[in-house]
Amino acid sequence: MAYRPSKRRKNVFEMEHTNITPMMNLMVVLIPLLLTSAEFVRLGVIELNLPPAAVGPEGEMLDELPQEERKKLDLTVTITDQGFFLSSSVAVLSGEQEGGPSISMVNGEYDFDQLSRKLYDIKEKAKDRFPDIDDIIIMAEPAIDYQTIISTMDASRGIRIDGEMITLFPNVSLSAGVF
Amino acid sequence: MAFIPSHKKKHDTRSGKAQLQLTSMMDMFTIILVFLLKTYSTHGQLINPSQDLTLPKSVIQHPPETGLDVIVSADWIMVNDKPIVQTQSLASMDGYLIEPVHQELLRYAREAQKMEELYGAKFSGKVTIQGDKDIPYQMLIKVMYTCGQSSYPNMRLVVYKKEG
Repeated sequence: MAYRPSKRRKNVFEMEHTNITPMMNLMVVLIPLLLTSAEFVRLGVIELNLPPAAVGPEGEMLDELPQEERKKLDLTVTITDQGFFLSSSVAVLSGEQEGGPSISMVNGEYDFDQLSRKLYDIKEKAKDRFPDIDDIIIMAEPAIDYQTIISTMDASRGIRIDGEMITLFPNVSLSAGVF
Repeated sequence: MAFIPSHKKKHDTRSGKAQLQLTSMMDMFTIILVFLLKTYSTHGQLINPSQDLTLPKSVIQHPPETGLDVIVSADWIMVNDKPIVQTQSLASMDGYLIEPVHQELLRYAREAQKMEELYGAKFSGKVTIQGDKDIPYQMLIKVMYTCGQSSYPNMRLVVYKKEG
C-alpha cells in the first residue's frame, strides 16, 4: 500500500542557471570590433638608398665614394645556383672544392646559417681595419628569385648568437653583376 | 482505496519552457576574443599589398612608409595601381631601362617637383617596391635601375615580417 505524497510544501531551493544573454551581448559587440582592427599579417620595409647620380651606364648600383687612403674591403656575396661565393678586395674565400662555391647548398637549399657564421668570422677578423666594414655588396645570377635575395640580406644584416642579435653588415648594396 | 502513484504524471515530458544551451558558443566566443586581443594593433595598415602577388618574408623590423608604389607581379608591372607593361616582355628587353615605367615615373616626379615649388613639400624621391617572391633577380635590377634613373633613388622593398 503506497502513501500519498505529502502536501506539505518543502523549501525547495532550485538552482537558477546564470543568464548567458548579457555576456552574449558583450561578445556580439566586441568580436566584430576587434576583428576590424586585427592585424594578421605584419608588413615591413627594407631600405635601399642609391645616391642619385651614381648610377653608371653599365647599371652598377655601387656607391661611388671618393678614394680614401685606407684600402676598402668591398665584401661581396655572389649568389649562384650552386651556392654562395664570398670575396673581397683582400682575398676570395674558397670552398671545399677548387673553384667551387665558398658555401655550397645543403639538400638543394641555400645554407643561410653557414653564411651568417662565415660573415661573423670575417667581421671579427676585419673589424677596425677597413673604413667600409659595415657595407656588403650582394650580387646574383639573373635567374635567382627575389625571396633568396631577401633572405641573403637578412643573413648578412645580423646574426643571433646565444639569443643576442649581433649586427654584421647593415648597409646593403645590390650589384648588377654578370649577365 | 490506497493511493497509487500515477504513472502518467511521472512520465510527463512537456515540462515548462525549453532552455537554449548557449554555454558551448560562449566558450568559442571567449577563445576568439582572446585571440583577437592578441592580434589587436592600433597603428593600422598604411600600405595595401597588391592581390596578385605574394611578398617575400624577412626578419626586418622597420615599419612601412607610404610613397609612390611600384608593383611587380607575375603578370604586370604597375605604378600606383595603373598597369604599365607586361612582365613577360621584360625578358626580351635589352639594357636595364624599362622605357614605359621610366616615362610614368618621370611624370610623377615632375608633378612632385611642381608641388615642391608651390607648397614647399620636399620631394623625397621615395618609391615603395612590392615584388612577388618568385621574380628573378634580373627583373628586380631592371626595375631598381629604372627607378634610380627616374629621380627616385630611395627605394623601399616591402616584405612580410617573420620571426627571426
